[in-house]
Amino acid sequence: MAQEFHLKLITQRAGGGDPIVREREVTGLEATIGRAPGNDIVLADLSIDPQHAKMRFTGPGRISIESISGLPFQVGGKSVQGAELSAASHPVVVFGEYTLSFEPSEGEAVSVTVTREDDEHHASPSIFSLQAKVFGRRNMAWVLGSGILLLCLAIPMIFVLFMANPKIHPDQQWSTGPLSKAHAFMEKDCKSCHTNAFVAVRDEACLTCHTTDATKAPKALANAKRLGSPFEPRLIAEHAPHADLQKATPLPAGVGPKVSTLVQRAFNHPTDRCASCHIEHTPAKGGDPKAPLSDKPKLVVVQTCESCHSELKMRLGKTTLIDTPDWSKHPDFRPLVMTQAGPTPKFQRVALDTAPQERNGLTFPHRMHLEPLGGVARQAISLGKGAGYGAALECASCHRRTPDGKNFQPIQMERDCGDCHSLAYDRVGGEFRNLPHGDLQKVVATLAGRSPPVMPGANRARPGQIRPSAFAAGGASAYRATFSRGGACYDCHTISWEGDTVRMAPVKLATKYLPRGGFDHNVPEHGGPGQSKAGGFKCADCHRAQTSDKSGDVLIPDLAKCGTCHGQTTAKIAAADDADCTTCHSFHTPGQPTPKPGQPPLRTLRWTEAMNRRGGGA
Amino acid sequence: MTNAGGHTERVRQRTHEGFLRHKGFRWAQIATLLCLVMVAIYFFVAARISEPPSGGSWLGYTLGTMSAGLIVWLACLGIRKRVITAGHYSLKAWVSAHVYLGLSLTVLATLHTGFQFGWNIHTLAYVLMMLVIASGALGIWAYATLPQRLHGNRGETTRKQMLEALESLDKQLHDLGQPLDRAGAQVVRLSLEGTQLGGGFWRRLTGSYGDCANLRAMQKLKTLPEAPNPRIAEIQAKIETVMQQKADVLGLARRQMQITAVLEGWLFVHIPATFALLAALTAHVISVFTYW
Repeated sequence: MAQEFHLKLITQRAGGGDPIVREREVTGLEATIGRAPGNDIVLADLSIDPQHAKMRFTGPGRISIESISGLPFQVGGKSVQGAELSAASHPVVVFGEYTLSFEPSEGEAVSVTVTREDDEHHASPSIFSLQAKVFGRRNMAWVLGSGILLLCLAIPMIFVLFMANPKIHPDQQWSTGPLSKAHAFMEKDCKSCHTNAFVAVRDEACLTCHTTDATKAPKALANAKRLGSPFEPRLIAEHAPHADLQKATPLPAGVGPKVSTLVQRAFNHPTDRCASCHIEHTPAKGGDPKAPLSDKPKLVVVQTCESCHSELKMRLGKTTLIDTPDWSKHPDFRPLVMTQAGPTPKFQRVALDTAPQERNGLTFPHRMHLEPLGGVARQAISLGKGAGYGAALECASCHRRTPDGKNFQPIQMERDCGDCHSLAYDRVGGEFRNLPHGDLQKVVATLAGRSPPVMPGANRARPGQIRPSAFAAGGASAYRATFSRGGACYDCHTISWEGDTVRMAPVKLATKYLPRGGFDHNVPEHGGPGQSKAGGFKCADCHRAQTSDKSGDVLIPDLAKCGTCHGQTTAKIAAADDADCTTCHSFHTPGQPTPKPGQPPLRTLRWTEAMNRRGGGA
Repeated sequence: MTNAGGHTERVRQRTHEGFLRHKGFRWAQIATLLCLVMVAIYFFVAARISEPPSGGSWLGYTLGTMSAGLIVWLACLGIRKRVITAGHYSLKAWVSAHVYLGLSLTVLATLHTGFQFGWNIHTLAYVLMMLVIASGALGIWAYATLPQRLHGNRGETTRKQMLEALESLDKQLHDLGQPLDRAGAQVVRLSLEGTQLGGGFWRRLTGSYGDCANLRAMQKLKTLPEAPNPRIAEIQAKIETVMQQKADVLGLARRQMQITAVLEGWLFVHIPATFALLAALTAHVISVFTYW
């Protein structure tokens, strides 16, 4: 055959089936390619120009294709404007969706197979549904779920279980809320309290800084400093031995709290821990959640005093405590009385209504000192106002308040009795020399080898005078005279002799008769300074000192005296006040009233210089 | 027999009730009662217990256990729906309980928190739970209202018919465009090749197809140089008509897609958030007991 194009037009069916094949010949050396119907090869593709290209024979089996539209076509994957092809190499030329495959035919003819991919992409109705590839439901579910498990559980758990002192604290995201200001310095270090995973915070963790144990307290303070506490931790005593507390504490009132307690105990979450009452990570009840943090952990009262101190013997057989189910059944006072003086004094709690006597070793009649018309009064008057007297003695003449006014300082002989009772034993160049009070051996040593000076004058000597009878025992040494009737020591001290050796009963005055209760003398109604409400008391209303002849008399009032105001209504008495247990007792220090909330203020607990040294040195 | 069959059909139609109305709102009543009881107990107890309300009180643990149990059970719908059963534990009953007990969680879990929130894993679990519930509520609304709207939108036309119509119009455009010159052909190609029926989630949801290729092709068609001969002018006029028809069908199909996107879209939040919630819940529970 001559040079001509043998066209084979094949339309493939995308859906399968036999392709549609049409064949015809194009005579001549040229053939036009385009979309317009007049072309030799009509390609019904809108991306192809009406007159797109022209192909012609340039030699036996050789064809040249040129674009006449300026639009390219593709040969071997490249976009070109023209191409020289050899049919023998079976070239493939692409116009839009059409593929022209060349191959030698009979003679010099070239066979051109025109195929078209019939892209019958029938859209499926599923296109109406959402189809996400990246953000598919399953993908997102897995990514989010495993991401949270990893970041919020696995990584923090690894830090908790295996890292001793990590630099970052991913477990902080587990914190249910901020800590109080007192503990805020431990905010990042969860393990300083939560020492063991899956074990509720134990008292040992708290006592690391708060123990009162004498051997451990210095270390506790050092621990607090090491952990970075800006505050000096308050050292806290247990209310009673812990084993006793556990036995003595009944289940809380109410079905819910009872069940809760039993369940917590069953799950190793005891309700008698420090953390059971002192709650952290939680705002104050009913408080504004945006309010500044509280200074100290929130105190939750789990048990009332009455709940344990009722029928206590049933739960704690060995106890000597008397039940106090309420104020009206509060047992009468049983002061702690010294029943035996000496180097190892013995104390005993004795019922007040048995008129207990204290063996304090001192001879002191209150009645004589307070007699308004007695000799003591006259001497006080003669001492004059300038010396702080000028009238009959009153309580404050001898008893001095502590700086806070709540209590009284221990009696000091020189200060509190010395204005009247002279300790002088000699005069050297106009200067009187006093016996060293409080140390028998020193007194004895001072007087050793001395003879009593003979001096005229009244038998009662003021300071600056040596009483004539001080060394009155005829011919006796000053030593023997001082400790004998009429001697300086004899009036107040109980003295006995073993041969030439003097024995003096030791003096020990009670500073507190009721160690398990607090009493504030500073309250105006308790005789403190300030204006008392009607019905308030003065000293003598409670302390019957005017009628007491022995220093061993226990001069505290009975409970009924307290009941005059406490537990009464203001209708009955203006000075009425409440009768809460907390008024006189507190849980950790039963001998003191419960401090008011926020007391002592946190700022006062900042480390002092002394504490700094102590903490630093420990 | 025919009559009897028709009668049966009518009865079935009349007595049909969806998962919301199942058994006369039985689960709605149970869930409401549960919420009321727990709210009453909460406010009764919260006023009487000494500690601040929190998930750590006995009531907190009770509410927390109930909530966690409910969450796990609610998540099991994913397993349950793949098992075909009937009767008392029918899927409809299950879905009804899922909906109402799920909504009751908003109350139970909120009480469990004791109204304490913070930037922590615990509040994360709570927020995820609320996200799951909110998306579920959207789903309830969608299932209750959108099928009606879908039907109203498409009229008697099925989705398949919409697609066939588009294909047919495209074929017409393709054939009509053959005699056009290059510029004209480009315009037709723009409509044929550039038109996107659906698109991404947001495009479907918002129905914003302002840059639709068919629309642009229609605009460009008007800017083409004057037709060289009346035949071409006639063809162009036909093309414009066909493109307008295509635009109408596209509009219908896209509204269908928009409604479908809402109908199905909530699950794209509900399901992943559920898994995130289960993970956060696990972390919440384990972390609470780690640092007990």
